[in-house]
Amino acid sequence: MNSDLSTADLSGRPRPVVNSWARPFWDGAREGKLLIQRCVTCSQPVFYPRIACPHCGADELAWEQACGRGTVYSYTVVMNNAPSAFIPEVPYVVAVIRLEEGVQMLSNIIEYDALRLTCDMPVEVVFRRLDDEFSLPVFRPADPAARGE
Amino acid sequence: MSNTRGRTAIVGIGEVPTGRFAERPAIQSALESARQAIADAGVRREEIDFVMPTATLYSFQFGNELATARLVEELGLPNVSSNCQVFSGGSSSTNALRVASALLETGRARCILFVHTDKLGTGVSAQGGIDLFSTAGISAEWEVPFGQHYSTVAALATTRYKHETGCTDEEMSAVCVSNRKWAELNPNAFFRKPLTIEEVMSSKMLSTPLRAKHSNMLFDGGGAFIVTTAERARDIAPRPAYVLGEGGAVTHFAYSQERDLTRFGWADAGRQAFAEAGIGPKDIDVAEIYDSYPIYQIIAFEELGICGRGEAGKLFLRGETWPGGRIPCTTDGGMLSKGHIGAGGSVSLLIEAARQVMGKAGTRQVPGARFAVETATGGTYFDAQVTILGSEIP
Repeated sequence: MNSDLSTADLSGRPRPVVNSWARPFWDGAREGKLLIQRCVTCSQPVFYPRIACPHCGADELAWEQACGRGTVYSYTVVMNNAPSAFIPEVPYVVAVIRLEEGVQMLSNIIEYDALRLTCDMPVEVVFRRLDDEFSLPVFRPADPAARGE
Repeated sequence: MSNTRGRTAIVGIGEVPTGRFAERPAIQSALESARQAIADAGVRREEIDFVMPTATLYSFQFGNELATARLVEELGLPNVSSNCQVFSGGSSSTNALRVASALLETGRARCILFVHTDKLGTGVSAQGGIDLFSTAGISAEWEVPFGQHYSTVAALATTRYKHETGCTDEEMSAVCVSNRKWAELNPNAFFRKPLTIEEVMSSKMLSTPLRAKHSNMLFDGGGAFIVTTAERARDIAPRPAYVLGEGGAVTHFAYSQERDLTRFGWADAGRQAFAEAGIGPKDIDVAEIYDSYPIYQIIAFEELGICGRGEAGKLFLRGETWPGGRIPCTTDGGMLSKGHIGAGGSVSLLIEAARQVMGKAGTRQVPGARFAVETATGGTYFDAQVTILGSEIP
């Protein structure tokens, strides 16, 4: 089982709701950069984008580019009963990724070999273009040998 | 610890069958449940001074009209001072009981009617239900765009929990079998035919490792209960279900932000509730555990201290939670077998906890049940809520 990016129909896929303070994240993704925030006061990394630090409550959060590497905290392969917009993509993987910076995000895993998907597997970010406005950060196995054909 | 232990009690319960009832509007389920609860409590309609409905997910008319006090008018309640909705998704019942207890303890209310109704079985198509639950309670910014929905939510916890504990598919499936054993005894349950582990494990794969029969199904349903002060309860009910302890922990909103998908806050919530009740997990006679998917029943069992980490699946597999078992669990069949009725999932469980403690559970009555623990959670397991009811005050 693998995922074929060239033929996947993404036209019906829901676009993210974008709040003004998260705009830099989506601007970065469009340019192939995975951006996270860091609190200027307490230095804690922050994802998803916030208007204030959830750790110390400070106002000022700075943007920085994440290294793009992480591990699979958990995952699932959607085989049936997907939401309507995702039916053309079945089977697809939903995963919680732990970035090296320490934050977690929900994403998809592509280029996977279903038999080699495991918790704690190293992954790296790649960007999947939805349209002119949105590219989604998704992940693939860091080890080329663990990728699907 | 607390001086609120046993100061309020559930004195009446009502419930309509869970299933597909296209001709039964949500207001009818609400009114029938409420009328049953009032009759069961033996209170006069004049006594009810607060009506506390929770929200519907799929009856626009009901949700829209409720604020106009239709329940009060239809039931002919002449002395109601407030008609106030309490809603937190699947934990609405437990949160409503907490708010109701606080109102009663402070004298702001004397007799409160709580009502839930919904129409998720016939008000929405099967695919419509999947689509509804791919946005309800899920972050539109950070999760909806990646195809998150409630099967993936449960599957993500299941995958990680299996990875950390070695829990097997057979153990996970045994939860469904256990709940079905109880549903076979519940005339209000939708699924009442015997179920085997093999049937669960051969059902259609939804989101690995979660199969169709590991998943709840959506139905129409409704329920109601009456809460009053302990003093009044002693006057009118032969065996009230005293509210002994309550605890809660709100752990996350976006599911991907939860740092531990194998624990959901029930340990903290349980400690609070048991401390307030003055009893421990070993004193529990019956456990009504939120069971939208088997993983949550397993995790809650362990977090509450009913058994150790990684042991719950084995306990279900051995049948210790079945009728006649050592620790009867989710005795109305739960969302997995009675059916998921939206915010009413835990309303059913709270009503069943009261029913068991009041000794009104008929053929599925746990003999001599004195203490019941109930758990509930809203959205994508945002919060862990625990209530302990008892027929006596320790």
